[in-house]
Amino acid sequence: MKNKNSVIAYWTLLSVVALVGLAAIALRVFQGMSVTNLTSLIPWGLWVAFYIYFIGLSAGSFLISTMIYVFDIKRFEPIGRIALFSAFVALSAGLVFILLDLGHMERFWTVFINRSSTSVLEWEIHFYNLYLAILLSELWLLMRRDLIRRSAQPGLVGLVCRLLTFGSKDLSDESAANDMRMVKILGMLGVPVAIGVHGGTGAIFAVVKARPYWYTGLFPLIFIVSALASGGALLTFLYAYFGHKDEQHTSLVVALGKMVGGFLALDLVFMGSELLVGFYGGIPDHVAVYRAMMFGPFWYVFWVGQLLVGALIPLTLIFNKYTGKISGWVGAASALIVLGIVGVRLNIVIPPFTVPLMPGVDTAYPLARFAAFEFKDWYLAAFTVAIVVFLLAAGLLIRHLSQLPTRPVERWLARAAGLVVMLGFLMMGLRFLGVGTPVTASIMGVPAKLPLFFGGVLRANDPSFYSPSALEWLSSMGVIALAVMGFSLGWLLLPLQEEHPSEPSTTPPSPFHFKSSYKSGYKSGNGEMGTQANGESL
Amino acid sequence: MTKKRYGMAIDLRRCVGCEACTVACKQENHTPPGVAYAKVIKEEVGEFPHVRRHFLPVLCNHCENPPCVPVCPVGATWKREEDGIVVIDYDICIGCRYCMTACPYGARYFDFGDNYNQPQNEFEGRSSPEYGEDRPRQAGSSPIGNVRKCTFCLHRVARGEQPACVLTCMPRARIFGDLNDPESEIARLVAERRGFRLKEELGTEPNVFYLE
Ligand code: SF4
Ligand code: SF4
Repeated sequence: MKNKNSVIAYWTLLSVVALVGLAAIALRVFQGMSVTNLTSLIPWGLWVAFYIYFIGLSAGSFLISTMIYVFDIKRFEPIGRIALFSAFVALSAGLVFILLDLGHMERFWTVFINRSSTSVLEWEIHFYNLYLAILLSELWLLMRRDLIRRSAQPGLVGLVCRLLTFGSKDLSDESAANDMRMVKILGMLGVPVAIGVHGGTGAIFAVVKARPYWYTGLFPLIFIVSALASGGALLTFLYAYFGHKDEQHTSLVVALGKMVGGFLALDLVFMGSELLVGFYGGIPDHVAVYRAMMFGPFWYVFWVGQLLVGALIPLTLIFNKYTGKISGWVGAASALIVLGIVGVRLNIVIPPFTVPLMPGVDTAYPLARFAAFEFKDWYLAAFTVAIVVFLLAAGLLIRHLSQLPTRPVERWLARAAGLVVMLGFLMMGLRFLGVGTPVTASIMGVPAKLPLFFGGVLRANDPSFYSPSALEWLSSMGVIALAVMGFSLGWLLLPLQEEHPSEPSTTPPSPFHFKSSYKSGYKSGNGEMGTQANGESL
Repeated sequence: MTKKRYGMAIDLRRCVGCEACTVACKQENHTPPGVAYAKVIKEEVGEFPHVRRHFLPVLCNHCENPPCVPVCPVGATWKREEDGIVVIDYDICIGCRYCMTACPYGARYFDFGDNYNQPQNEFEGRSSPEYGEDRPRQAGSSPIGNVRKCTFCLHRVARGEQPACVLTCMPRARIFGDLNDPESEIARLVAERRGFRLKEELGTEPNVFYLE
């Protein structure tokens, strides 16, 4: 069965990335911050960018869930629990990233005893806790009845669900109404908290008067709007490809896509306003940051990542007469937005540091440094094995995915996208093995230019140049893979989509619903969907 | 006894850009690569034959309103009540580097744990006297993984000595003292000579004055 192969490939792929990532994290823990390419001039880099990225995804998903439970937009109900669960996973990932970034990780818990009421960061930490509590209680209340129903199932699903019911047995309708009332109250509490979570994350940057690029009142708002765009896009993508394919599926995906497109457009307007005011004002420090962002060594993060992939292409796909009506395309557009916002986050954190605070202060004393870590020989062997396994698994998965669409164009597009992703990982791996460093570059010639994005060795003497070290990349990919694995597990085990009470489900839903979506409608398997969908699949 | 307000005046007409202060500071505080509490910004103005080199020694300004202090999530850095020196407690600092982004002068450095020699030599491994504490430099323990900055040589001042950079400065371009004491040399110089401070528009009120 082909589907089974690709499920194996999917999990292998994620496990390889996660394992390599965990190894990288172990190196980071034991050898300290010296494994990064950060300097005293550029003290925050990839990890902080991913931190605000994931917090944004989380807050965005959560805010979209409140539209359903607080503002009663019943239409979006099918994505409600997915929204809350992805908010939880993304928040956890974000917190892991900020933990990785601490110089003294072992002291992270002291933020609870060493209070400092003047620090935005300190307030954020408390916001995150409150937010986590609200999020989880809401999710639990929503799933409670389905958890109880599922706990009758044999095997892992039943066990997990049984544990998660926390002894609750009440299946009555009054209890459900009670739950919904609580959810509404929690959601109402959640709105300001979620806005605080991400607006506050924006404020961490916005209150820094030393950096004019951050120091604007619009900054926290941009954070919230782009959070809504990225969180909404994530949900749209998930629902488009993995949601129950019932009669409202396409129309809901299209509606979600339009909403996400709207948030993205608003985000662009805000950004345009910042740029206009900044350039008009022409304060040297301010303009220099924009220049570094647009025309510096990483111009493509802005033009290609943020604008083309993250905004123009998805907006065209979403608001286009033809593709805008097909859930597959809207889902793909949303995936692009989710990717593109990474560029937005990178450009929030890094460019301001590349501009010296005072002319000459960056070169007065040699501040440039780059990753140093001890590298035992057997890592190399292990890593080579990992690359091979990774490539095999990725190949299998890409083959499977590229056979799903019916139209040849789409198939080729899927293949190309898969290849690009694989190539990216391969380059990261090569860089890890030392290919493309000045030494090997001088032997091999040209390729030194290629992996620039994945390691900063090439301009190691330029203190205002930062490009994440291989370990930074690998550990980030590891955390992301772990988050995706956690999410997939939750998807398999928890009732994240509303169940139909009359049909007790027997097998867990596969994460590969989309296979059937293109060809034969929804394949039965979990019996959760309405009769309509069942009829379709038979 | 009234509160002290330690500050420094740097006479730009005297500074010759020899960087003896940079070296003295590194020796005194055993700072690793990439950390230099005192450094000299060098700038070339004009075109040959009318060229001039300008020097601007910079260090932590021990601002009156230090923007680096309120941002710290654990309160690990503060301005001392008794003498106005901005300090960091290495045992509390979690190494988030928020304060580095907030300092408008680039006066804070992160100790990544790098060494000049591999493995580190005896001098590098020896304890830095900062804050009068005994902290041998070992991987994984403070100050590695912390943010570090100029302390106005707190440990020397406590012994009644001058900061290392002041003592070493050959043309006596650096004058250290209590700005609250109107009789002190620094207070008189700041009052009498035309001077400026860095980025005054930010309202940080630096305590390092530059005399022209
Ligand atoms: S110069 Fe920077 S580090 Fe020193 S007190 Fe002022 S803001 Fe803080
Ligand atoms: S790096 Fe240390 S001193 Fe600086 S803000 Fe973070 S915890 Fe405070």
